[in-house]
Amino acid sequence: MSADRTRRAAVTGIGVVAPNGLHTDTYWKSVKEGLNVLDRITREGCGHLPLQVAGEVRGFDPSALIEETFLVQTDRFTHFAMAAAAAALDDAGLSTGAADSPYSVGVVTAAGSGGGEFGQRELQKLWGQGSRFVGPYQSIAWFYAASTGQISIHNGFKGPCSVVASDEAGGLDAVAHAARAVRRGTDVVVVGAAEAPLAPYSMVCQLGYAELSTDEDPARAYRPFTSAACGFVPAEGGAVLVLEDADRAQSRDATVRATVAGHAATFTGASRWDESRAGLAHAIRGALDEAGCAPEEIDVVFADAMGIREADTAEALALTDALGPHGTRVPVTAPKAGIGRSYCGAPLLDIAAAVMAMEHGQIPPTPGVFDVCHDIDLVAATARPAQLRTALVLSRGLMGSNAALVLRRGPGSLAQNDKENS
Amino acid sequence: MTTEATEVTVEELATLMKKGAGVTVDPHDLEARVDTTFAEFGLDSLGLLGIVGELENRYGRSLPTDAERCKSPRAFLDLVNGALRTGA
Repeated sequence: MSADRTRRAAVTGIGVVAPNGLHTDTYWKSVKEGLNVLDRITREGCGHLPLQVAGEVRGFDPSALIEETFLVQTDRFTHFAMAAAAAALDDAGLSTGAADSPYSVGVVTAAGSGGGEFGQRELQKLWGQGSRFVGPYQSIAWFYAASTGQISIHNGFKGPCSVVASDEAGGLDAVAHAARAVRRGTDVVVVGAAEAPLAPYSMVCQLGYAELSTDEDPARAYRPFTSAACGFVPAEGGAVLVLEDADRAQSRDATVRATVAGHAATFTGASRWDESRAGLAHAIRGALDEAGCAPEEIDVVFADAMGIREADTAEALALTDALGPHGTRVPVTAPKAGIGRSYCGAPLLDIAAAVMAMEHGQIPPTPGVFDVCHDIDLVAATARPAQLRTALVLSRGLMGSNAALVLRRGPGSLAQNDKENS
Repeated sequence: MTTEATEVTVEELATLMKKGAGVTVDPHDLEARVDTTFAEFGLDSLGLLGIVGELENRYGRSLPTDAERCKSPRAFLDLVNGALRTGA
């Protein structure tokens, strides 16, 4: 690979659609306050299923955000992605297509599933009425590549486009893939992930996961790193970033909110959480190496926080394996304890939170978690002020993927950070 | 002359474009620009395929495979109504 090492991938735009906020700013406020928005599932047709608690995106009106021609041919997961992409492009000052050429902008999304709700509706027509009653948009709406396609079509982006399907940690892999595209010469890559796993068919698919929490009390359902950890709860939503060549961003006076400094991924097998310790540690070392970052430089860790004892232990130990003594001293947080895991969207939401944590000099807390039973410095209860220059974001998937991503604070964040903490 | 039951009108086509593909088009505008391409109205090939499927279900018969390849409302209506008249 002839990636130009002098080109850096900068985050110049962030768009969020999450259970705790339909906009990036409200998401950050909720994360910083440590709100727990986990609640009983109210999505149609889901009430009878033995999964009662999740992070639902509520109050999201796709028809107010997306043209009808796109609405009719897309699932809810693509609605989230398109809305987040529009917000990210607006944040980056690229909403009017400021790109020099359509070929200079690419799109990358990660997906753990696809359009389950749309697909179920069409399949019910198939066996209820017959094949002639299945609409042609079924051919594209369910597909896990749909969000990449629709974002590129909607905005006229003709640069390198792809979909990363590598389990939940694929959210981080997609960002790394986009950063490589930028380093190889693509000016801008719109990258993200959003999922909509709260529909009857999609939920039934998840019921077999041993790690799924079926606790019916929203306050107790997802408490990673505690002795009461009983699994994870799923969530809807995700985030989209605008990644851009840092020099190009500066030349057009865009704010470099952060840079993607390093990434690595490993695979250790489905639900083999003991083995994920070595896999995660190896990923962390690889990400640090690519970033040229010493363990002591990591100022905060956004943990995967699977929420089952064995997996939490593996993650806590992986931190020490990879970071040495710093692994027990570095502040660790898991905002997803208050919003659930939106599969591939989850690590994207963590990246968004990490960037804003560095900008504001505040480590958001882990909602609902107080009695930590691992040797890590978990930020609980309230946000912790801190000078943050480098963040490590971790993610694992149920199918065995592990990934680590290192983010560096943008140059513009320093002044704001110092001012807020003075 | 054909009866109402076996002819698809411009107005019905406008309704189908809206229902099936989310394309909002005024029937009078569609009538006035009946030789304009579907693409210019914002209707893609899958959208037209959906309209063909809807009509096939409505009339209980297959339409010519060329129907989904028609480029303009006039070409589409001529082909479909011709097929419905002859019972092809």
